[in-house]
Amino acid sequence: MMGILRQVWQQTTSTIRVGQQTLHYTLRARWHWPTINQQMFLIGNKSLVFTILTLGFLGAIMSLQAGFQALRIIGDTSLIGQQMLPLLVRQLGPTLVGLMVATRVGTGIAAEIGSMVVTEQVDALRMCNAPPVDYLVKPRFIACVLMLPVLTIFGIASAFLAGMAIAATVFNTNPAVFANTDFVNLLDLIEGMTKALAFGIVIPIIAGASGLDARGGSQGVGDATTRAVVNSSLAVIVLDFVIGGLAFLVRV
Amino acid sequence: MIEFIDVHKAFGSNVVLAGVTVTVHPGQVVFIIGKSGAGKSVLVKHLLGLIRPDSGVIRFEGQDITGFTEKDFYPLRKRCAMVFQHSTLFDSMSLVENVALPLRKHKGMGHAESLKAAREKLALVQMDRLADRAPADIGDGLRKRVAIARALTLDPEYVVFDEPTTGLDPVNAVRVDRLIRQLADELGVTSIVVSHDLRSIFGVADRVVMLYHGKVLLDGTPAEFKASDNPIIHQFVNGLPEGPMEL
Repeated sequence: MMGILRQVWQQTTSTIRVGQQTLHYTLRARWHWPTINQQMFLIGNKSLVFTILTLGFLGAIMSLQAGFQALRIIGDTSLIGQQMLPLLVRQLGPTLVGLMVATRVGTGIAAEIGSMVVTEQVDALRMCNAPPVDYLVKPRFIACVLMLPVLTIFGIASAFLAGMAIAATVFNTNPAVFANTDFVNLLDLIEGMTKALAFGIVIPIIAGASGLDARGGSQGVGDATTRAVVNSSLAVIVLDFVIGGLAFLVRV
Repeated sequence: MIEFIDVHKAFGSNVVLAGVTVTVHPGQVVFIIGKSGAGKSVLVKHLLGLIRPDSGVIRFEGQDITGFTEKDFYPLRKRCAMVFQHSTLFDSMSLVENVALPLRKHKGMGHAESLKAAREKLALVQMDRLADRAPADIGDGLRKRVAIARALTLDPEYVVFDEPTTGLDPVNAVRVDRLIRQLADELGVTSIVVSHDLRSIFGVADRVVMLYHGKVLLDGTPAEFKASDNPIIHQFVNGLPEGPMEL
């Protein structure tokens, strides 16, 4: 038990330290745009198809299930779209995109940096006066912060359009009726984008810290990758709850 | 002068250094030897702040660097370079960009200027014709040469070589040995060489320090090392599979 607590404590302090250094270098050190652009491409563009497909199928499933329930209970499917949109904007869109980025990008960051640690490339960077957090974590951090809201917008749009297509083909719901935005307000948008931004901040920091803490050989890299996906997914869920709770308090 | 005084280091329950005291004088080529896992690389990394001691003192030119922060170490790393065991070139960069990185980061050189200087350094190790290749496109021996060029790019006064000839063919190994000796004789560069290579020790070293069980077993000239009647040293020098040396 003490061993587990010690491990949690070490991981937490290490993540906080990497987070502090990342913010420091982001605010104080020069941004190397070619590297940031490359990371934006890897994190954003390369995740786009995965995000659109996953959220698209999820929107289709939601529309199908909600339509069946609506038909059974009230016999009317015209409310599906106006109920689905706030849920996607506030909750499911940013959270699912966050979890997908944690899985796809977080593991990639931890594996890449972890491999560099165990092959002494990180020590070689330190010898070259290139702080590893500045050189490795910062570009991924900036790219994630910029790309996660973009991926979230594409994900929400994909889910909503897929839901609309299902509603139109299966339940004959008019797309103009489905696309009712009356139940989405500015606060919903702010809540959704705040979550996306928060996930974009924590995922690269947790994954970067996991990679920098890698020890040993390939097993150490594997452990770091597992830690990155578990911790960043957990952080996404916890932040989702906290930001959702704060938004609820603002509304009431 | 570099001094390691009563340095202790353990990783969990594994005690690697149990009170090592070694002094390296300017211009010398000092070989740190010992069986695998004896703590040779761990010891030399303490000098560069890549590993911190549990206790003990490390002095660089009389200054106690034991409590240095990461930032404090950067000026020292400009004067004291390291060639890592596995070359450790950055995969995402070409060979010339690898060599140019210390020039940009330590000296603040511009991109074009640093690449030009890096090509000149690569020419010293006969690697300028492959300058634009990626590290993955060349073999271990060539990567080692580029790593040496990167370490020498800032004209350091001290160089730490971690197993510089491991994995090299005999011809390239002799070239590396000759380079280490030339650096000391012609430029006064102080070298600490972590090695298993007995042929290199007897051709290049001014002094030999043998670590065993986390302590210094011998600190002397190559001749003293060879003539030692210590059974462990005798087994090591002669490469005998049977003897008192524990695995």
